[in-house]
Order: sequence, then C-alpha cells, then structure tokens
Amino acid sequence: MAQLSVPTVDYTQYSNRQLVAVPLALLAVALLVIGGWYLFTGAPANLGLEFVGGSEIRIDDPGGNAAQQIETAFSAEPSSVRQIAADGTYILTFSEGAVETPDGSNQLSVLEQQAEAAGFSIQASSSVSPSFGANTQTIALGGVLVAFLGMSVLVFVMFRSIAPSIAVIASAFSDVMLPLAMMNLLGINLSLGTVAALLMLIGYSVDSDILLNNSILRESGDFYESTSRAMRTGVTMTLTSIAAMAVMTVAAYLFGIQIMTAIGIVLVVGLLADLMNTYLLNVSLLRWYVNRGVKA
Amino acid sequence: MIEKLKSNWRLTLLAVILLISLFVVFSPTMAPQTNVGGENATTGDRLTNLQYGLDLAGGTRIRAPLIGMTAEAVDIGDESTTNVAAAVAAELPDSDTTDVTVRRGTINGPTVEVVNPDISESQFADALDATGYSYETIRDGLTQETRDEAINVIEGKVNQAGLSGASVQQITDGTGFFILVEVPGQDRSDVIDLIEQRGNVRIDIYHDNNGDGEYTTERAVLTQNDFASISNARQPDDRSPNPRVPVSIRQENGIAETFQSTVVETGVAQQGGSTCRYEENPQNTDPCLQLVVDGEVINSFGMNGDLANSMRTGDWARSPSFVLTTTSFEEAQEIAINLRAGDIPAEYAIDQGTTSFISPTQGENFRTDSLIIGILAILTVSGVVFARYREPQVALPMILTAFSEVLILLGFAAYLQYPLDLSVIASFIAVLGTGVDDLVIIADGVMAEGDVSSRRVFSSRFKKAFWVIGVAAATTIIAMSPLAVLSLGDLEGFAIFTILGVLVGVFVTRPAYGDILRNLLTER
Repeated sequence: MAQLSVPTVDYTQYSNRQLVAVPLALLAVALLVIGGWYLFTGAPANLGLEFVGGSEIRIDDPGGNAAQQIETAFSAEPSSVRQIAADGTYILTFSEGAVETPDGSNQLSVLEQQAEAAGFSIQASSSVSPSFGANTQTIALGGVLVAFLGMSVLVFVMFRSIAPSIAVIASAFSDVMLPLAMMNLLGINLSLGTVAALLMLIGYSVDSDILLNNSILRESGDFYESTSRAMRTGVTMTLTSIAAMAVMTVAAYLFGIQIMTAIGIVLVVGLLADLMNTYLLNVSLLRWYVNRGVKA
Repeated sequence: MIEKLKSNWRLTLLAVILLISLFVVFSPTMAPQTNVGGENATTGDRLTNLQYGLDLAGGTRIRAPLIGMTAEAVDIGDESTTNVAAAVAAELPDSDTTDVTVRRGTINGPTVEVVNPDISESQFADALDATGYSYETIRDGLTQETRDEAINVIEGKVNQAGLSGASVQQITDGTGFFILVEVPGQDRSDVIDLIEQRGNVRIDIYHDNNGDGEYTTERAVLTQNDFASISNARQPDDRSPNPRVPVSIRQENGIAETFQSTVVETGVAQQGGSTCRYEENPQNTDPCLQLVVDGEVINSFGMNGDLANSMRTGDWARSPSFVLTTTSFEEAQEIAINLRAGDIPAEYAIDQGTTSFISPTQGENFRTDSLIIGILAILTVSGVVFARYREPQVALPMILTAFSEVLILLGFAAYLQYPLDLSVIASFIAVLGTGVDDLVIIADGVMAEGDVSSRRVFSSRFKKAFWVIGVAAATTIIAMSPLAVLSLGDLEGFAIFTILGVLVGVFVTRPAYGDILRNLLTER
C-alpha cells in the first residue's frame, strides 16, 4: 500500500498576494459563470426536474434497437435519455408540457400508458408540477441562506475576532460557489440532492478551516509550524472524505442512483475547492492577521 | 475490573450503546408489532428490524395540496351552518353544498370554505356579499379541520381498497400544506385512480312528474350518510346481469321512509316497476334513479316490479335493502369504497404536486446497490486511513469507531421505525466521512510532538482537539437543520440522520476513541 504523506508547502517563498491570487481568481471566474447563467437563463444554475417540473420514467432495457423503440413509443421526444450501466435500464426525462394530455389527466400518467402500450416495464417514475417546483426552489434557496448565515454567526461567536472569522466564511463561500459554477459548466442539474450536498459542504468545509485557525491562533508554536501541523491533519481529513465521496459518486452513477450521485459529485468538487481555499486563501489571510503591524 | 471500566467509562458507554443498537436491529423480540408492510411484509426484511422506505421497498408516493379557499371571521350570527352553506352555494356558479363547508370554532372562525376549483376568489367574495355575510379575509388553503377530515377519508379509501401499509399525513413547507400519501408496493396509477376524485356519491331521481315532457332532477335523495351498510361489489351473476353494490338504508329519523315515499311519488316505484331509458332517450323514459359521482351521472336505472310493489305497500322501509347497479365491476368497487370512506372534502390536486413510483424489483436492486456503495465507502476510508497512519493500532480502532457510528444510526432507525431511503443511506456515508475526519483530528492532535506518555498531557491535547470537533459539529448541525425542518421531500431523512450521526459522534464515539488512544499511548 502506498504511503500517504501530506506534502509540506514552503509558505515563506510566497507573498500573501501571490497566495490569494489563485483562489480569488477562480472565485471570480465562478461568480462570473453563475452571474452569466443568471443573466441568460434566469437562474444561477441548470435547474433540475425537482425545481422546474417535469416527468421521469425508468424502464427496463427493451432490447434490440432501444433508441428507436423509445422514440416510437412516446408521443413526445424525451429531453434526456440515459442508460444505466449496472442494470441496462433507461432513464427518460420529459419536460413539463411536452406531451399532450387529455383533460384532467396528468403528463406522467399518459407517458406511463404509452410506455406500457409499447411493452416497456416501468421500474420507477416520478413527476413534479411546475408550481410545486417553483415553491421548492424558494425553500431550497432560503435553506441555503439560513444555513450559511447560521454558520457565519457561529464562527464569529467562536473566534470573536473579525479577520479569522472572515477567512473561514470567505473560504466556505468559495467552497459553495466553485462547485455550483462547475455544475453549470459540466451540465449537471441542480437537484434536491445537490442542495443537500451544498449544505453538507458548508459543514464539511469549515472543519479544516477551523482546525487551521485554531492551530495558528490558539496553540503554541510559530506560524509556519502551526500551519504545517494543521495541514497534515486537515489534508488527511479532506482526502479521506474526497475518497469516500468519489467512490460513492462513481458507484451510484453506475447503479443509476441519482440522489447519491448528485450529493457525491458536489462534495468531491467542493472538497477539492476547500483544499485550495483553506491552504491558500485562509492561510494568507491569517498570516496577514498574525503579522499585522509587523513590517515584512 | 470495575475500576478499569470506570476509568474507561466512555469506551464502556460506547460498548453498551453498540450492544443495544445491535439488539434493536437484529433481535426478533424488537420486531415491530404490526409490520408496516402488512402481511406480505414488503417494507421490512426478516433478518433485521429495519424498515425500508419506498426507494428501497418499492411503492408510490404522492405529495400534493388540497384545493380550496377559506373566508375567515365570517359573521354568520346564530344561523345553522347547513343553511349558511346552502345560501353561499346557491350564489356560486355550478356549485352545490358539497362545495361549501361552514365551520364554527375554527381558528379565525367562523369560516366558510369553498372547494370548487373553478371558483375564483372574486366570485367567492361576490357570493358572500350577495348573501350578506360580512367577512374579514379570503385566503388560499383550507382549515386544519378540513385537512384532517381529508386525511381520514384518504386513509379510509386506501384501507378499503386493501392497500396495506399505507400512510397518509400532512406536511408543510412553511408556505402551505400538503398531504403526503405513501403506499408501499403499489403502482402509481392504481393509487391515483383511487384518490384523485373526491368520490362524492349520491342518488338523484330523474323524472317527469307532471307528465308535460319536461324532466326534472330531484337531487341527493340519498347521500353517503343515509346508508346503513354497504356490501362488497358483486360481479354479474344469475341473479342480476349487472355488476352491483348491495346496500341498506338507515331506518332512524325516517330516512328509509322518506326515500320510499319520494321514490313512489316520483313514479320510480310505479305499478309494475319502471324501465329507465335515460341513456338512449332522455326525453322519453320512465323515471330513473341515477347514481352520481362528483356531479357526474355514472349510471341510470329503473326498478323491478317486486321492489316497486313493496315500496308502494310501505313494507320496504321495514327492511330497507337496495341494490346500486353500475356498468362495470371496477365502477362498483369504486362506488363501494367511496360510500364507505366518504368523500374527500376538497380536491386532492395531484397535478400541483409531485408523484414518484419505484417498482418492488427496482427497490430491491437499490437495496443491494446501496449496501455495496456503503461497503465500498468503508473500504475506501479504511484504505486511506491505513495508508496515512501505517500503524494498525491507530488506524484499526479509527475505522471500527467510525463504523460503529453507522451501526448506532441503524439502531436509531430501527428503534424509531424510520423508513430507510436512499437519502438516509447517503447520510450514513456522509457521517462516516465526518466521523473519520474528526477521529483524524483527535489522533493527530494527541500524537503531535512525539510521545504522549503522561495522562495529563494526553487529556490536555485531547481537550484541544475536541474543541475543533465541537465547533465543526455545531456548524454541520446548523447547516443541516433547515433541511430537517423544511419538508423538502427526500432530504428530510438525509438531514435528520446527518445531525443524529454528528451528535452520536460528538457525545459517544469520538470520546470513546480518545479512551482507546489513551490506553494505547499512555503508561500508567
């Protein structure tokens, strides 16, 4: 088994400005992407079925020319078709209003009938109405805001000084924004699972920041010693989590378990962002704070 | 021995809690009294006492609002609520008393609720103005009493239809109320068919009383409350060529007698019986009894000679049984269910909610899949931890401790009978991740700067490490609590179990790991 050794960084070689440049530049790009998305699509991310409404059906592999069969079976073109590696089933999504429905019946019922008429066996199905989705959107956004504010207040109360608290909060903010921008670029939809992951990230990501702040501000030893000690622990922690989440993401993707895939991928990207933010952004803010008043 | 247990009390506590958890999960004596899955036990398995949610067991889940408006603080004086309802219904287009509910003693009452989805707020306001009842506000949504009634009726329908293990409950997202219906092992369309209609059943009489060719409808000569008993739906047989529901009418308060005389007066029970030709020729038919569901005529039928005669002599009312004929057996079943369970007091608007269905085979696959994912996650975490520490005496307890957190969570789930869903499994993996993180903080914190031979040094370092863990745990709990409170569907379970896991970690397992490390590293 390979020895896992945490690399030590010689922070003395770099100025604070050099250290914050990379994370801040990436954060700026992320905010640009999210802002651009908002301007062009009216939402900060690609909203998934749970937020905009629509129908989804998971059917057994019909065998033969599946794509052909799926196309002829349904009266509307699915907005996405994906085959699940583990069991060969197909997941089809239809946007709301794609299928003409007779009065009083809903879209998914019509789709289910069409699927059955074509001889497909339905393994799972779900539908969300647009009004319900819009509602969910508001609540989810509110939830993320409340969680973030709550975390910020807690951090302030715990450290009781402004700069270290800002360092933690800034890096948590960036930890949430980078995966969000990444999802937009990779074409991953925002779903309830990803919202849960973003919230989880708020909790996960502050771990290593708090560890770093604690080690530098409250424990003995000079700045670089404390930093490398915190880094040894922190990087191990984050890598463990990344490994667990990466395995979950890949396995869940192969099995077609969407909620776990969504949670996993956001956490992987977010934790990677956290590594960078903690040991570049947060470290330099703390170094500035510790050395303030001292001429370099 | 006792001394040792005492000084390692955290470890002892963990061992006790672990044993309890294992007992709750596996012991048959802790098995739920009434299996939620019913006789076919689809939601549990034999090996453990864990309950599986719809994701892992298969079934249908519907989450949707009830449609209606409520006028609050309506000044109805001493008038009877029935009269008020009738007066308001008369002013509303295409509405009858089943569309209006008047209640006293409700919050901001008396309240008047309108559940006809085609009525707009201004039409409702106009109707109230026309009837002269002043009111304070009209709001969207219904009263708690009506929602409770709806839940009871939906439960009744699902039970009457023989769908075992179903649950019906109210949830709120802070902006409004939804009714959540979960039926294990059942197809989506079956459940929707059962509850998408309000299921108000009544009997009308269609007749031309004065013989001038103008037919009128006597509405609601029988409604749900007038029936004393409702038999099971019958297939056509040699006694009758039609599918049907045998029923009997209440005798108290002269209900049966009133019905009897109405039937005789309108001519349904004429000499020799009546033959209904409503379907073919509505302008030239004998008087008909009509079976009406949610305002729609389902079937029209006449009366045979024998029954008509016993009505005419007045004998019938002494043993008032009667048969509702339908055009199909499914319809007869539906009528029987609707009559027994009653009508949902408002429309359950599935189109404005969400539905999801997982087939039992898919659920079973997800069960195996998530078990595999869980095992893979544990193996990965173990791999990383071993690679980092290289010393089994540090790494092995770490992995076992993190794993015991998951076991304790399973114990909680079994004890609470909380149905395991994919999101709950995801939270187990997340807890495993944070758990190991914190154990790494403890291990590194304690072992930093060489050997920890004295207990005093150990406990001071342990305390420092624990401060970080405490703050991190508090942030995770704060970040997750909105999800645990808001009902964002599947995420509630994820949030609840992540929070539980963090609490178990901070108060039980992580301190216990401290004990283990101390025993390994310090000398007496």
